[in-house]
Amino acid sequence: MIHIEQLRLKFPGAEKRLFTDVSLSIKKGEKVLLLGPSGCGKSTLLQVMAGIIPRSIDVPMKAKALHIPKQVGYVFQDPDAQFCMPYVDEEMAFVLENLGVPRAEMKEKIERVLQRVRLRLPHVHVPIQTLSGGMKQRLAIASVLALDPDVLFLDEPTALLDEEGTKAVWETLKEVADDRTVVIVEHKIDHILDFVERIILFNEHGEIIADGSTNEIFSTYRSFITEQGIWHPDVWKAYEKPKTAQQPYEEGDVLLHVQSLRGFRQKEEKIAVDELTIYAGEWIAITGENGAGKSTLLQSFMKLIRTEGDMYWRGELVKNDGVLYDNIAFVFQNPEFQFVTNRVDDELAYCLRLEKRSEYEIEEEVERLLRRFHLSAQRHLHPYQLSMGQKRRLSVAASVTERHRILLLDEPTFGQDAKNTFALLEWLEAYRQQGKTIVMVTHDEHIVSEFATRRWGIENGKLVADEIIAPRMLVRGGMR
Amino acid sequence: MRWGIEHKETWLHQTNPTAKLLLFLPMFVVIVFVHNPNVLINWTIGFIALFMLFSGYRMKHVLLFFVPFLFIFISTSSSMILFGKGETTWFRWGLIHITEESFYRGVHLGFRTLLFAIFGLMFALTTKPVLLFYSLMQQAKLKPKYAYSFLAAIRLLPIMLEEFQTVHQALKVRRAAKANGFRGKLELVKRYAIPLLSQSIRRAQRIAVAMEAKAFTNERPRTFYYEVTLGKYDVYLLVVICTIVALGYYVADMFPYVAIKDVR
Repeated sequence: MIHIEQLRLKFPGAEKRLFTDVSLSIKKGEKVLLLGPSGCGKSTLLQVMAGIIPRSIDVPMKAKALHIPKQVGYVFQDPDAQFCMPYVDEEMAFVLENLGVPRAEMKEKIERVLQRVRLRLPHVHVPIQTLSGGMKQRLAIASVLALDPDVLFLDEPTALLDEEGTKAVWETLKEVADDRTVVIVEHKIDHILDFVERIILFNEHGEIIADGSTNEIFSTYRSFITEQGIWHPDVWKAYEKPKTAQQPYEEGDVLLHVQSLRGFRQKEEKIAVDELTIYAGEWIAITGENGAGKSTLLQSFMKLIRTEGDMYWRGELVKNDGVLYDNIAFVFQNPEFQFVTNRVDDELAYCLRLEKRSEYEIEEEVERLLRRFHLSAQRHLHPYQLSMGQKRRLSVAASVTERHRILLLDEPTFGQDAKNTFALLEWLEAYRQQGKTIVMVTHDEHIVSEFATRRWGIENGKLVADEIIAPRMLVRGGMR
Repeated sequence: MRWGIEHKETWLHQTNPTAKLLLFLPMFVVIVFVHNPNVLINWTIGFIALFMLFSGYRMKHVLLFFVPFLFIFISTSSSMILFGKGETTWFRWGLIHITEESFYRGVHLGFRTLLFAIFGLMFALTTKPVLLFYSLMQQAKLKPKYAYSFLAAIRLLPIMLEEFQTVHQALKVRRAAKANGFRGKLELVKRYAIPLLSQSIRRAQRIAVAMEAKAFTNERPRTFYYEVTLGKYDVYLLVVICTIVALGYYVADMFPYVAIKDVR
């Protein structure tokens, strides 16, 4: 089905070749997983196999032999970047038009394919924007199925989805795969180990270091796979968390107290909590379904949206939003949106300069942060040139300064590999040990059970659970 | 284009977008060459009536749409009225010099902009972008490559709007959403524009690749999901426009509101 011999490929401007003489072949009907560290070139190889390189993306490449299938389907990572039409039926029709399917047959074909991926909608003319990430990816699968491909290429189709969406997408894919050849690149492999029968393992130099059955590869190379930061079912079992995790730091002061806080989005009330108190040294995990109001709650704490109700900072009524910005730091889901300068070190110095500290002091603090967050080698780069993990580290490092007492994070481990996730969690734990408080939105149950000291459950814009996970520190004086 | 505001589908919505475009565009040129304010006033009345009766939008929304254009009406006409040249002086105070000629010229300019606004709004509010491009592909033989590029770009706009809000919040938290002085303001524009543009460019490129991966090439003849044809409603529109234009001239000739026939 696919046969590549001695592939050489180099991105223009890159120092090194991405592939040097890579050869592989995939038989008809095989379900293959390409596994390896980020940046090793798996996605590029997938695009070569699908013919996207060099047809759509022009990259110089050479191969002794290159047999690739004619009818291919490719599912991409980003649910917001693979549709060109506003409505579900129009997007499906776009594919059918490309194939020259007569108009009269379209309606029926669209409905049949949508049914196959179990996308149940009130009717087919639904705006794509109103679908969840998981539904969008299933629509992508549907439009790919309309092409009737011999080979399905899946390029991290669940990387940007939550747990629920991930599960639904893989269930769908398993159902529709049949006897088709499937080639997958994926970092979260919990759901697919029973589906793929062969794993091709890459190292960071783009070389194939192992190729064999799933069981064989997994038992022989388990530690290598773990080292590369790939999410597999045993990652958390093998992980040793810091000893301080979930241990109280000291008697916690009351930091933030809110009373009948309500947050609005366009006049509509999206979150309402009667009373909440955040103490120093806590690690609070906010959990709940998509759209329940978790991020909205964080935004309400910072008054980034219209809010009603009273907030008290260390017992004093908050009258000026500046008090909140001075004491609470906020890390957004997409790190890129937070960068304000053109260099990594300037980014770290930005907040310090606002505080009008001396240049000498700033210099020293920046050096310390660069070392602490392993960014020293990248200090001259533009923030956008960093890798996913580095960007996340920079966004945390740049948002937090000495004066901040609470750190709010909106799904900071989202889309990160296991290695980066653990590094971040360990830094957050060390930060908590300085008497700071972590409040984070997360979908990862492991983070809740291994690191959090308290959990808030949000459902339909209401706080439905407030449970202590780790023994709470003694609280002086109780509530305000 | 669609604004997500509830409305009824009237016969104006059923007209062929390309035909509508071809009927409206010449009007923009014609309006520029009309110098009799009486005609323009009549046309404004006629086309506003058409718009209010058949756009399918509620009256309060229609009136809201016109608020900014009323403002433009006042500003364009007033500057001409207050500072224009003329011989019959009505009022003079310092720089301000109102003459009969400049007054009528100003009012005339105001109606011209108002008419432009009516045609623009009428087109935008009664045309779905998707159908416009399908029609352009089918009637005007626009290349699918361009049509679908535009449609994909339209899809990016609401996503960009959402991202703008996020960037604004993120900058606010870092106290970087405000700046003083000209250089500061310039810096601020960059701070907003760079993340938004970089996201959009990346997304646009990905969408392009995804479109080609879905067999979007020029190799095969295309079929169309929506068949957009010419119909009786296009004839209605032609007749209505001709009637208003002709009636406007006739009434202006028989019952003029002002004595001036040429504002030049």
